[in-house]
Amino acid sequence: MKGSIICIGNRFLEEDAAGLQVLDRLQAMRPLPAGIELVEGGLAGLNLLPFLEQGGRVVFVDAVEGFTQTGEIILLTQEEISQIPSQYFFGHDAGLPYLLAVLPKVCDGQLPEEIVLVGLEGRCNKETIEKAAKMSVTMAMHGLRDLG
Amino acid sequence: MAKITKGINIPLNRAEGDLEINVEIEGGIITEAWSAGTLFRGFEGMMRGRGALDGLVMTPRVCGICSITHLTAAVEALDAIATVTPPDNARRLRNLALMVETVQSDVRQAILMFMADFANREAYADHPLAADASRRYQPLAGRAALEVIRESKRLVQVMAIIGGQWPHTSFMVPGGVTSVPEISKLLQCRIIVERFCSWYERSILGCSIDRWLAIQSVSDLDAWLDESPSHQESEVGFFIRFSRQAGMHTLGKGPNRYLSYGNLPLPLDTEVQGTDGRMTAAGFAASTTVIPFEGSKITEDVSHAWYEQGAIPLHPFSGRTKPYASGQSGRLYSWVKAPRYGDEVVETGPLAEMIVAGNPLFCDMIEKDGPSVMARQLARMVRPTGLLPSMAVWLNELVERRGDSFYHSVRSMPDGQGAGMIQAARGALGHWVKIQDEKITHYQIITPTAWNGSPRDEQGRRGAWEDALIGTPIKDSKNPVEAGHVVRSFDPCLVCAVHCLKKGETRGAVNDGLTR
Repeated sequence: MKGSIICIGNRFLEEDAAGLQVLDRLQAMRPLPAGIELVEGGLAGLNLLPFLEQGGRVVFVDAVEGFTQTGEIILLTQEEISQIPSQYFFGHDAGLPYLLAVLPKVCDGQLPEEIVLVGLEGRCNKETIEKAAKMSVTMAMHGLRDLG
Repeated sequence: MAKITKGINIPLNRAEGDLEINVEIEGGIITEAWSAGTLFRGFEGMMRGRGALDGLVMTPRVCGICSITHLTAAVEALDAIATVTPPDNARRLRNLALMVETVQSDVRQAILMFMADFANREAYADHPLAADASRRYQPLAGRAALEVIRESKRLVQVMAIIGGQWPHTSFMVPGGVTSVPEISKLLQCRIIVERFCSWYERSILGCSIDRWLAIQSVSDLDAWLDESPSHQESEVGFFIRFSRQAGMHTLGKGPNRYLSYGNLPLPLDTEVQGTDGRMTAAGFAASTTVIPFEGSKITEDVSHAWYEQGAIPLHPFSGRTKPYASGQSGRLYSWVKAPRYGDEVVETGPLAEMIVAGNPLFCDMIEKDGPSVMARQLARMVRPTGLLPSMAVWLNELVERRGDSFYHSVRSMPDGQGAGMIQAARGALGHWVKIQDEKITHYQIITPTAWNGSPRDEQGRRGAWEDALIGTPIKDSKNPVEAGHVVRSFDPCLVCAVHCLKKGETRGAVNDGLTR
């Protein structure tokens, strides 16, 4: 199955840069296993929808706040992301819950078979970034469901 | 005595908080307003000492909405320093990418951001069109809200095709572009633009672009609205009916001074018409009197911003961005500087483009009623009528002339300074760059929101939307939707924000490995 790793966040804001630090690490690890596409999602928001219309498995990597201890990693399923209370307004800051809520209503292609978020809490050291990079590859290849 | 309420904070960021508007309300009317950017950007400092071309990679990542736009301003500054004129095909491709970004932003801003407030049931419970507004604009459910996401998503494919990489392309380089799309890809772009255009005409306008462009005055606009149910039921028709009923033609006047840098440099050989080598005219207007634009008249005042204070306001080639946030308690209140043009407070954006270009409908609106939320927002909704036809022309020209050049060689960047001044979706955007020994020695960016959302200047004059807020009636200070309309009509963007997922009640399992 095809797997995409979409790293999101803002390189210029320390508290929101973790996803892109993982992207940099993944780029250094190239070549990635066959069938894995790496995407610099940045702040593209709604413009990431085309990556969610190609079926397969989609792994988002992003900074999170308030889920666990600083420097820890959390894995969230699509259901768990969608259950996070959020104002479903589009803004210049529309986030992941908005994207996932709108996706099934506007999808032109095939919905992803599985969506996972690799969330990095707060400021992360090199080891955490490394771990998150490896985890996102494993997620893109095997998903969370298969791992039980 | 009228009731005075101080320190009302207008909730503008729907999820995060980079923009804070504080107002004072006296007798139900806004009497004072302060607009504060609450986040220090600091791009200028990051750019110094980097390689000459790094602006092409760094600045598109400044904003998730205006990525291509920053790339365009950055490359135009470098073209100027390298004294190179890109070939016609490069102009066409660059322009097309920027136009796609502008058009998708215009329709999304209108439906998803501005008109989402029409579905604010508490504020508009008594509005006769409230139920219809809710059916159209309810976030994640309204018919128009979903349609605009679907259609703009399709249009954005054009940027992906032209840019070669998506998102975050850096396909523009000094001297031209790096990607030459196959004919089949250009034809695909043409189909996407044609389809988008049909949807825009059917749903947003309710008529053909040609029919819309025949409207020359406010009375023509009234006649257009009466002419057919499809006009009344279109998003533009509905917007006019709803906003008139809500009095938006009387809200949000602002400085009545307008600035456009001009936009979209014309290929030397093209069917598209323009002014002084650009499709969109440059100029400054006091009410509807337009005078030619002079870049040297731009200054930045930091008297009320958290920066090291200088003696006099400086041009962006000389200005500095040195954060300094202590002392002067109360006087300094924003991370946004106060740009001024010829010492005037100005607004920029689609309405300014219309006035500077002498658009008869919008000039008539301004002369009759003055600037307003309604005029500003209508200008944004119908700006694509001026862009979509030229996009089709340039795609056809690209298909016919694909064998021609896309790039004029620039072997190295000479020392020098250059400005990239364009119109972003939200208005005038400038990058002012100095290069020495192939390194950036100076980089200043003035965004449209710095113009529109500026704090006060040395003379105590309010910024454009601070000024536009004065006199706004607020029915319910707990739900100040009227003030929201005023600020949103300028389409604010205060850096694209921290957007990380925040904790809610439901959480996943904490993991330190792969076991769950």
